[in-house]
Amino acid sequence: MRVLVLFLLFLSISLAQLKVVATYPWIGELVREIGKDRVSLYVIAKGTEDPHFVVPKPSHIAKMRDADLLIVQGASLEVGFLPPLLQQSNNPKIQPGRQGYLDLSQFVELIEKPVNISRAMGDVHPEGNPHYQLDPHNIPPLARAIAERLCQLDSPNCSYYRGNLEEFLKRWNARLTEWDREFAKLKGIKVIQYHKLYDYLLQRYGMVLVGTLEPLPGIPPTGKHIEGLISQAQGVKFILQDVYHEKRTAQFVAQRLNAKVVILPHDVGAVLEAKDLFSLFDEILRRLSQ
Amino acid sequence: MKKAILLLSVFSFAFAQDSLEELKRQLEEQRRQIRELEKKIEALEKQKLEAKEEVKEEQKPAPADRTLQLRVKYEERLKAFQVYPFRQTAFLPDLSLIVDTSLVGRNKNDQELKRLEIPGLYHRHGSEEHGILNKNRGFNLNYAELYLYAPVDPYFDLYATIPFSEDGAEVEEAYAVTRGLPFGFQFKVGKFRSSFGRLNAQHPHVWDFANQPLVYKVFLGDDGLKEKGVQLNWIAPTPFYLLFGVEVLQGENEQSFGTEGFKVNTRRDGSGTDITIGDTKKPNLYVGFVKTSFDVGDLSVLTGLSFATGHSRINHLEGDDPHAFAGKTKLYGFDLTAKYMIDSYRYISFQGEYLYRDQKGTRYGYNNAGDLRTAELKKEQGGFYTQLVFKFDRRWRAGVQYNLINKNDVKRNGVKRNLPDNLPAYYAMLEYNPTEFSRIRFQVGQNRAFFHDGKRKTVNEVILQFNFAIGAHGAHPF
Repeated sequence: MRVLVLFLLFLSISLAQLKVVATYPWIGELVREIGKDRVSLYVIAKGTEDPHFVVPKPSHIAKMRDADLLIVQGASLEVGFLPPLLQQSNNPKIQPGRQGYLDLSQFVELIEKPVNISRAMGDVHPEGNPHYQLDPHNIPPLARAIAERLCQLDSPNCSYYRGNLEEFLKRWNARLTEWDREFAKLKGIKVIQYHKLYDYLLQRYGMVLVGTLEPLPGIPPTGKHIEGLISQAQGVKFILQDVYHEKRTAQFVAQRLNAKVVILPHDVGAVLEAKDLFSLFDEILRRLSQ
Repeated sequence: MKKAILLLSVFSFAFAQDSLEELKRQLEEQRRQIRELEKKIEALEKQKLEAKEEVKEEQKPAPADRTLQLRVKYEERLKAFQVYPFRQTAFLPDLSLIVDTSLVGRNKNDQELKRLEIPGLYHRHGSEEHGILNKNRGFNLNYAELYLYAPVDPYFDLYATIPFSEDGAEVEEAYAVTRGLPFGFQFKVGKFRSSFGRLNAQHPHVWDFANQPLVYKVFLGDDGLKEKGVQLNWIAPTPFYLLFGVEVLQGENEQSFGTEGFKVNTRRDGSGTDITIGDTKKPNLYVGFVKTSFDVGDLSVLTGLSFATGHSRINHLEGDDPHAFAGKTKLYGFDLTAKYMIDSYRYISFQGEYLYRDQKGTRYGYNNAGDLRTAELKKEQGGFYTQLVFKFDRRWRAGVQYNLINKNDVKRNGVKRNLPDNLPAYYAMLEYNPTEFSRIRFQVGQNRAFFHDGKRKTVNEVILQFNFAIGAHGAHPF
């Protein structure tokens, strides 16, 4: 008996690398930038998946069982798949309220927080729009939050994480100046998007959102809504299309409005070119600048 | 015993260690806050001093004014009327209500259907009819299920499922689950759906078809295996999913187990002497299971083995054909699910389960003259279901299910009874899901397992099912 307990203790101590599970690839990228080889990383969702509809596979449970830290996007984006995984993970360290649970939505200003809420309004999140990763100015505070939490959980490596953070922020801020300059050229252009996915980007750079193809969040386009949208919209330059929804509606609307369909990555790995956080925003910029 | 105590002490030690850590952390946090506050106070005092000096130079406010101001402020506070200072709404648990209603068309009327039996496996008896979905022709309100969840404290989560029917409410599930056991363990206590098999632990509203599979109906009953008891499960520290679990349950299941003893009279009319069959030992049912899962690209496979063993007391002494059974039952289960994800909204899922029952004991029944006849009864029965579900659009799913009971060996006093062992049922469904919260399902089916007076009676049915959920967001099932 004693031997077994000792063995288990030994097992948990001997694996020195901090084990981190992130729900989405972009969070994983931040962890990689700051933790580098001192953390082992597992990412639940794929960049090509609809972030609202990730399949709660049992294989994720096996990874969460051993995790020291679970980092989530929050704002109810993961409500459909994370609660059962967390409950079945049998891991007290990563339960909400513990140090091993980090909700990044706590560190940014969420927009579009509804005053009233009802499911009759579609899939509205009470906390506000959860797709905040698409404002590049939101990344530095999130990187800092991750570094601080890694420090708390793994204090011997704290200076290493802080060093990586500073180095990352330096590179990021340099690119940020460039992005700000380049995106500024897009100010005032009118766009339509499928889902309210790019609002943070649009708001940051002053692009004008004319409407969404979805009549309500999470409700597929209807003929009536599309006709209404087409009759009201004027001078729309782009239809912003995510990678996971059907693209016929966007093409139809683009044709009618003489606009262009732009398939825009929302996460690392959504399109081939978006290999990491830097190339994600580079690619967004490139696709919007054509 | 010693071992148990040692184990317990280890657990409590781990708990204590945990909370100690937590306390330490909180203390540290508080210290830090105090330090910050001290700094702030220092800074403020400094400012104040500076300000005072400035004020001295300028003009002092009249002290009378200041007392007046204070008094006004205090009086305001004194007059303030607190309506309900002990409001606890912030602690309201997650609540949801799931309503299931259906329209059924069937080639047998409800009275005929009640009389049908599956020989050696299933027959309806008496007034105990709850749990049967889509029971009547025409409209059915299958359930309005209230679901509650909230953490109890840092150590437990509590779940309860209370389905309301037109006749009343029952506590289908009410159990607590640990939040903080170390080393991958989890403990469950209360009344819950056993993790035996694949489908049993799932709520009917996440099933892919309107009815439960035939093997579940005959071996576990219309309600499934829902028992009071405890479960301990452990996830192995392997890179793939590997779960072991044991359950100790009361074992009151009416199809295969049962705990309550009974009295049989040697004469059917009650004029003979009573023979008393005692209760089983309680708890009565032990369940063990192992489940594993792995991914191959976009294909996820989940498979498991289950075992249940317990004593049986089946009492059908009230009714036209009074009989009873006392003995032992073993149930074996194998399940396999393979789900191929095409994209975020589309998948193809194969699911199948094989269940096998081994039952031995004494049967009590009456002959034509009304005399009690006891017989040694031995049942070896098995069957399976397989289903294929294709989610071909974000809102649409279609599926087929094939049920077959292909082993039905029943021996009385060593003599094999001639019972049918080719009992199939077929179902097909088409589903429209406007959102995750509503579902409209059309199902057609043919059940060729039912018999009456030794003749097979084919039951054909069509079901239009509506399912709605309000309140807290339920999780998507795997």
